[in-house]
Amino acid sequence: MKKQISRLLLLGISVLAVSACTKTDNYEGPNASFEGRIIDATTGENLQSETGSTQIRLEQQDWETTASPQTIPSKYDGTFKDTKLFKGKYKVVPTNGGFWPVYDTATVDIGSNTQHNFEVTPYAKITNFSSELVDGNTLRLTFTIDPPVTAGLPTLRTIQPLVNITSMVGTGATIRDYSVTERLNMNGKAFAELPDVSTDVDVAGKTMTLEVPNLKRGTKFYVRVGVQWNDSFASWNLSNILEVQVPNE
Amino acid sequence: MKSIHKIIIAVAISIGASVTSCQRLDIPPTNIVGADVIFGSEAGVTSYVANLYRALPIEDFKYRPDGNGGDNNNPPGFKRGGNDWENFYNSASAIGEEVGPYGGFDIGGGFGYWPYNDIRAVNILIEELPKHVTELTQPRVDQLLAEGHFIRAYFYYGMAKRYGGVPIITVPQDPASPVSELQVHRNKEEEVWDFISSELDLAITGMSETSEKGRANKYVAAALKSRAMLFAACVAKYGSENFVEGPARSQGFVGIPAEKAQEYFQQAWDAAKLLEGKFDLYNANPDKEQNYVDLFLKYDGNPEVIFVKQYSVAIGTAHSWDATMSPRYFTANALSRSYPTLETVERWGALNVTNPDGTPKRYSTRAEVQAGLEPRLLASIYFPGDVLRGKEFDMQRGIYPSFSGTAANEVAKPANTRSYVLAGGTDVLYNGKQVIGFTGPFTGGDELTRTGFYVRKYVDYNKAQAAVDLNRSEQPWYDFRYGEILLNRAEAAIELGNTSDALECVNKIRSRAGASTLGSVDRDAVRLERTKELVFENQYYWDLKRWRTADVVLNNARFKGLMPYYVFNEDKFIFLKEPELFQRNYNFDKRFYYEPIPGGQLALNPNLYPNNPNY
Repeated sequence: MKKQISRLLLLGISVLAVSACTKTDNYEGPNASFEGRIIDATTGENLQSETGSTQIRLEQQDWETTASPQTIPSKYDGTFKDTKLFKGKYKVVPTNGGFWPVYDTATVDIGSNTQHNFEVTPYAKITNFSSELVDGNTLRLTFTIDPPVTAGLPTLRTIQPLVNITSMVGTGATIRDYSVTERLNMNGKAFAELPDVSTDVDVAGKTMTLEVPNLKRGTKFYVRVGVQWNDSFASWNLSNILEVQVPNE
Repeated sequence: MKSIHKIIIAVAISIGASVTSCQRLDIPPTNIVGADVIFGSEAGVTSYVANLYRALPIEDFKYRPDGNGGDNNNPPGFKRGGNDWENFYNSASAIGEEVGPYGGFDIGGGFGYWPYNDIRAVNILIEELPKHVTELTQPRVDQLLAEGHFIRAYFYYGMAKRYGGVPIITVPQDPASPVSELQVHRNKEEEVWDFISSELDLAITGMSETSEKGRANKYVAAALKSRAMLFAACVAKYGSENFVEGPARSQGFVGIPAEKAQEYFQQAWDAAKLLEGKFDLYNANPDKEQNYVDLFLKYDGNPEVIFVKQYSVAIGTAHSWDATMSPRYFTANALSRSYPTLETVERWGALNVTNPDGTPKRYSTRAEVQAGLEPRLLASIYFPGDVLRGKEFDMQRGIYPSFSGTAANEVAKPANTRSYVLAGGTDVLYNGKQVIGFTGPFTGGDELTRTGFYVRKYVDYNKAQAAVDLNRSEQPWYDFRYGEILLNRAEAAIELGNTSDALECVNKIRSRAGASTLGSVDRDAVRLERTKELVFENQYYWDLKRWRTADVVLNNARFKGLMPYYVFNEDKFIFLKEPELFQRNYNFDKRFYYEPIPGGQLALNPNLYPNNPNY
């Protein structure tokens, strides 16, 4: 009798054990990837970017419930890449950068090595960016803010030099004393009210200068300028990055 | 084999017993109190609404806006447990009114406030009460119903200012109804504010003029209405100028048409005006500074107090304001961690601590720096040289063996080239003189000031040091006081173009504060007066939001402190305005004007989509 009971128990346990193991995780891992460029529609070149600026926002469409959106940050060179996505159909849209909002979201089937480029119209291009050292360690930056479209342009928030000692220079990657403290607060001024220091009528847009004094001597800096707009994201247009060597005394 | 028989017998007996006993147990369960018991007597209703009052979204001493911790009994945000002692995790220290434990503006995502369980409880109250007219009498039922409308409005106000439009649910949902009916869509933001307004109108007309302490009455409802409608008006006016685009906005779930602003401002003004003559500013003591200190501690018979939240050591709900706003030097336990900034102090005007030639003024005592300052400022903030429980606020950042030159040049120097002597503890001496004060400023830990100031408002100076411990403070939180109502009215008046009324209200506030009266006011002056009068009362955070100025004020902002130093060779004190010693950076992302709809709720109810812009 005892033997019978223990056999029964054994049988029961093995039935339970087998049934518990029959469900295996047969979902695919996040093995899809999505990459591409964010292109300035007016020039065909990549939009100047940084981490924390332009993002690609993805909303998966073929998931059983409404999926939480995810974002891919762009890189400094205006490209983006995410290699750990789940395969599927996504609504994709670039956001959070200094360009006119994109309302026509594209739908993309993301699988392995899916590529997609976005064309955007920047609020402004920052062109003719140059730098010179005056008085040994004061940096004078000259640049032109050139909006391709001026009608309905957001108002200005700040115009700011961005200075760092690595080539990763962006609005969140600066030396504060050379960058945030030197910013011009525009307080919602319209672009049209900006002064223009250039007398050259052939140069479109407004040319400006900014100065960053008291740079540390004997140091190499990476410098760009940013223009921040009062749009939904308080977004930035950024210049290209220049290298500046401040000499010793 | 025998044991098997025993088992069979035992099973048979227990089956037999349970079958027969089931018939005897077929009575109403004695451990569940039914609706008849609760709503059929005044005592039952009181205990029921007490639970609702306990859950009201009152941003008091214990309010913690970052969502840390919490369970069903003590949810995050509106803490109501027995040991919610970290009162320095306040909204003021996330926005630069103070600097403190938050690393920056860390509270934009909120804590998922979603009080539909409490709203269900109010809905049950409102549904049940009319069935109990015989026990409670019709006039009493009408009053209690009005109180229910006040409570319901308060919960919706707590959500509307965070999320904009949320589902308006006014009847208890039946859990058995189809899921499609239970998954209610969001209402437009405008509809939610209108609902709050109409609920409060019901409360104002239906409630009596007085009530027991801690419970609402007609004027509490009017006070809430003035606060809520001012918020709605600002969303309409300033939210139409500074906003984040997205589907939730284009569908009206966040944002209100600008043309509604005037109507809401008018409602805010009318509601505030209802309290005129019923309440008054506290003015019992001719010493303006002491009077303003006592305003927050003498609550019984105080004509300014409209609605309070109370605390009790005996039932384990006491707070810890006294033990966490002052350093251990003045208390029996614990520590402080959030400190008023120089920017907050200078709402009252720039502190004049330098001579015309730019050199720091020399002071014989620390307290001399307080000369000529407004009594209200000194009553709100502990300055160097103040005394608490017989000890001095001896703030001292360090010692200069000697000091020459201007304050600006000294502060601009890199720290390692400055000639001051600092110390890592209060025991370090320089030629026999203590280098840093017992009360800081100090960077070795968080427990001493990082700005040169401490909070004074609400601190009970009468308590003996040995009694100042955690969870031992019982002074009530003034959820509504007449000072705020006058400022609500002034702000609504200035927005409506009624400058003379705004001026009258502001001057009442100013003369009580010990400030000179003004000859004229504009919008900015009204706002400035508000930020001074209501400092540390958890208002500034919402003011920045509804004025839509948070993204400008907190644009990579850093704040300052006032650092006292002892100049050894002169035997004098100097004060330097320097970056606060946490060196925090505060940045407000525009999307934070609204909090995201809680993710868990979106998963339960997809009809809550679209989420607020940029989430």
